[in-house]
Amino acid sequence: MITNYIRIAWRNCTKNWFYPLLNLGGLSIGLAFTFLIGAFAWKETRVNKNLADYKNQYIIQSKWANPDMGLDITTVGPLAKALKEQYPHLVANYYRWDGVTTNVSKGDKVFREGLQIGDSTFLTMFGFHLLYGDPSSALEQPYTILIREDKALKYFGKKDVVGQTLSLQSFTGTSHDFLITGVLQAPNENSVTFLNRENDNGFFVSDASIDFFGRNLEDWNNPYIVDYIQLREGVSPEALQKPMQQLLVKNASAMIANNMQPWLAPLQTYYLEKDNGSVKKMLYTISFIALFLLAMALINFITLSISRSSSRIREIGIRKVMGGTRKQLIVQFLVESFVMVLLSSVIAIFIYSLARPFVSGILLKPVPSLNELPFSFGVAALVLVLLVAFLAGIYPSLVLSAFKAVESLKGKLQVKEKTYLRTGLLGFQFFTASLVLAGTLVVTGQVAYFFTRDLGYDKTFVVTAQVPRDWTGAGANHMQAIAREFASLPQVTHVSLSWQIPNGWDNGFLPVYKEGKDSTDAVNTEQMEADENYCATYGIPIITGRYFRDNRDTLNLVINESAVKAFGWKEPEEAIGKRVFFPGNFPMNIVGVVKDFHSASMKDKIQPTVISHVSLNKRYRFLSFKLRPGNVAGSIEALRKKWSVLLPGSAFEYGFIDDTLARLYQSEIRLKKASQLATILALVIVVLGVVGLVSLSVQKRTKEIGIRKVLGATIPSICYLFIKDFLPIMIFGSLLSIPVAWKIMQDWLNNYAYRVPITLLPFIYSLMFLSLLSFVLISLQASRTALANPTKNLRTE
Amino acid sequence: MIQLQHISKWYNVGGKPTFILKDINIKITEGEFVSIMGPSGSGKTTLLNIIGMLDLPSEGSYQFFDQAVYDLREKHRTELYKKNIGFIFQAYHLIDELTVYENIETPLLYQDVKSSERKAMVSDMLDKFNIVGKKDLFPSQLSGGQQQLVGIVRALIAKPKLLLADEPTGNLNSKQGEEIMDLFQKINEEEGVTIVQVTHSEKNADYGHRIINLLDGRVESISEKPLKQV
Repeated sequence: MITNYIRIAWRNCTKNWFYPLLNLGGLSIGLAFTFLIGAFAWKETRVNKNLADYKNQYIIQSKWANPDMGLDITTVGPLAKALKEQYPHLVANYYRWDGVTTNVSKGDKVFREGLQIGDSTFLTMFGFHLLYGDPSSALEQPYTILIREDKALKYFGKKDVVGQTLSLQSFTGTSHDFLITGVLQAPNENSVTFLNRENDNGFFVSDASIDFFGRNLEDWNNPYIVDYIQLREGVSPEALQKPMQQLLVKNASAMIANNMQPWLAPLQTYYLEKDNGSVKKMLYTISFIALFLLAMALINFITLSISRSSSRIREIGIRKVMGGTRKQLIVQFLVESFVMVLLSSVIAIFIYSLARPFVSGILLKPVPSLNELPFSFGVAALVLVLLVAFLAGIYPSLVLSAFKAVESLKGKLQVKEKTYLRTGLLGFQFFTASLVLAGTLVVTGQVAYFFTRDLGYDKTFVVTAQVPRDWTGAGANHMQAIAREFASLPQVTHVSLSWQIPNGWDNGFLPVYKEGKDSTDAVNTEQMEADENYCATYGIPIITGRYFRDNRDTLNLVINESAVKAFGWKEPEEAIGKRVFFPGNFPMNIVGVVKDFHSASMKDKIQPTVISHVSLNKRYRFLSFKLRPGNVAGSIEALRKKWSVLLPGSAFEYGFIDDTLARLYQSEIRLKKASQLATILALVIVVLGVVGLVSLSVQKRTKEIGIRKVLGATIPSICYLFIKDFLPIMIFGSLLSIPVAWKIMQDWLNNYAYRVPITLLPFIYSLMFLSLLSFVLISLQASRTALANPTKNLRTE
Repeated sequence: MIQLQHISKWYNVGGKPTFILKDINIKITEGEFVSIMGPSGSGKTTLLNIIGMLDLPSEGSYQFFDQAVYDLREKHRTELYKKNIGFIFQAYHLIDELTVYENIETPLLYQDVKSSERKAMVSDMLDKFNIVGKKDLFPSQLSGGQQQLVGIVRALIAKPKLLLADEPTGNLNSKQGEEIMDLFQKINEEEGVTIVQVTHSEKNADYGHRIINLLDGRVESISEKPLKQV
């Protein structure tokens, strides 16, 4: 019996390939996208799950009384160690690291690399696997280093590099050879070796060599160390709350003990929950989009199945006359939908493999390939497919099997078709399509705004590169001299040495107070450190006063407009010549006010900013070059040449400000691309659905079209017949989506301090586009029949 | 075998009942060959459908082998009808997607006949009606007469006691029609299958033992004919 059903289902598909193809196509796309997103989401939830004993491992996070005071993801270094030593019944193990970026070289291969200087518990606590080397002793001796396999390939072209050396640079400019004692197998994504995008570490150095870098893990007042602890089985993280606070009060400065509250974030969920659960939210968003697309494809399937029933009615009648019961017919139609859905799953799997690199590019992370997925994922996918098959088949089979035998044989639908359901489903499709389309337009508009809004500075032809550190007086002077050397290049107009570039780097805050006030009235400011060429390089307008001239400006300060307001001055001119105090009653003179400019993401308001001269703290990280317009590639080449002369042994890794912004707005750009993809898919599915429905409707009314033509109807008037049927539903569905899309997009835009105003335009565009699309689709199909010879149409009975 | 009493069927059109059948009383005994005649719209097909249990009257009672059909539950009625009645249509009503073999096999599927048994029964019938060579063809590859032959074989496959034919020769040319009618006669005489046919043609009606003439939903006249000698 079942084989008989499958056979007839197959013949139905092959005999009339057009509708099954529409059905299969839409459903395959919906399923493939759902699989891709599902696989991606699965992988995201697997982050940290490969760590040994991840269920008991925690990363110590910090809550600051004022969020500008310090980083959330770091804490003081000795905390984890002290917990383990003083509370051994609670804490089983700990690992801490300090992240630094420095030049790593082997021969003439020089790259800037991020490395972790950390405890020797790194391998044992998390169960990372060494491809080569002895895990028990790999991280003990000074001047030894662990290297990840891909880094080994990068420097040596092979993985077995134990016993080789790499040269690392310190922040005082000296270099030292480090012996490679182990090659780390590239671990699955985890929050230890890959804490965030800025800390994707491939080099691990024992804390025995920490003095070489001038760092300190044991300072109770350095809140920039990443701490992990592993609790004993059954110990709850709350049990550590009091001990941590007590340790801080006992050891750390009052400023840290009073303002920083450490807490334990479980590694199990850390990745999904960090940054207010941004990963989780993103996963929910794209999963919803995938399910909506699948629902749209499902609706196509259902509506097309029912509409096609006219061609199946006679068969239903015959089967009933021959003794088929309703139940048997339901089973038959269900089997057919299962065959169709299984077929489209097979196609979906092909699409999966083909589209995987593309979707990975959009999501900025590889979507797992089919053989990376576990068996359980396959089972879940199968359950989904079966559910889809059931949903797709049950309604059409209930409707079709309910036809009465006698009237079915006449080939007529005796029940007035329940068109309201189909109408509703079509309306829903347009609702969704217009929602996605309008949303995408808004997101695209906001992302364009990031790049086109007046940033307050001129980003064109500005190239930046990180320089090696030597944070001593001599080092700073040397680097300033180098900057001047670069400035002498004919391809360059200005060169500036600075601690920050406008890349959204979280700088922490600096409490500054006016003369006559004290530190309790301090304004939390963003501290920038830059040399005298910064304003010229970035084209930041000076409102009043002056910018720095040279190293004699060490004790002078330039502030921005927001700082003027924050300090309570009405006019920028009032600030000039005033004294303000840095922590420790350190006086600074304000000499100038610059216009506000965006140094961070437009999510946040422009902060009150104080710019001090680089000679004050003698810290620097970046050189920024303003190139002359023209041959950019040639200019870069000239910079590279000069760099290798002036800064031998360090990597020239440059970036344009546009690239920097692209990194800054990475997640927004990802959202934009993902929503554009979703829009395209939604439109494809809608088009398939409309084409199917209209062509069936035209088919059913072929005779009517013939009669009308004989009676003198024009082609436009015939097209109008169909447009009148479909267009109002489409417009209604689209209109209904406007308030919903408006609300969603308004909520999204509210995340940004600087945003495009939400207007009716995107909604009008999407409505017009969808209407036009349907209009064209309907007209094309209707006019094809209308153009045919009417006598042919009349013969169709 | 069949006893219809006071069978009426009507539809409400604009609040007023429009009768399709009005107070029909018919008795058909086993082994009979009955023709129903009448102009278009006289209710022939409706009457046939009521006899075939595909349609329900608005009023009246129906005894089939001493079973009051309308007292039966739907399920039992289907059972009764599946076992005893075969249907033949003017438009053949073969399933286009199935081969000749599969079309013939379908009623057996719905009667849960075992696979091996099905095979034997279908082969037997194909052989008997000389269409073994056509068994893998699809209906569209057959002539009208051949299609109707398949329709008849399909109706007979489950060994029904009653064969209902709705203008079986309506779409055929006269020669094909004659062959089909001869076949009916043979089935009736040799297998003892009761046949009720609806027809327009006097000539075809004459094959029956009895002709029931309908007009506007009423039995206008019944003309009996002496049983032919076997």
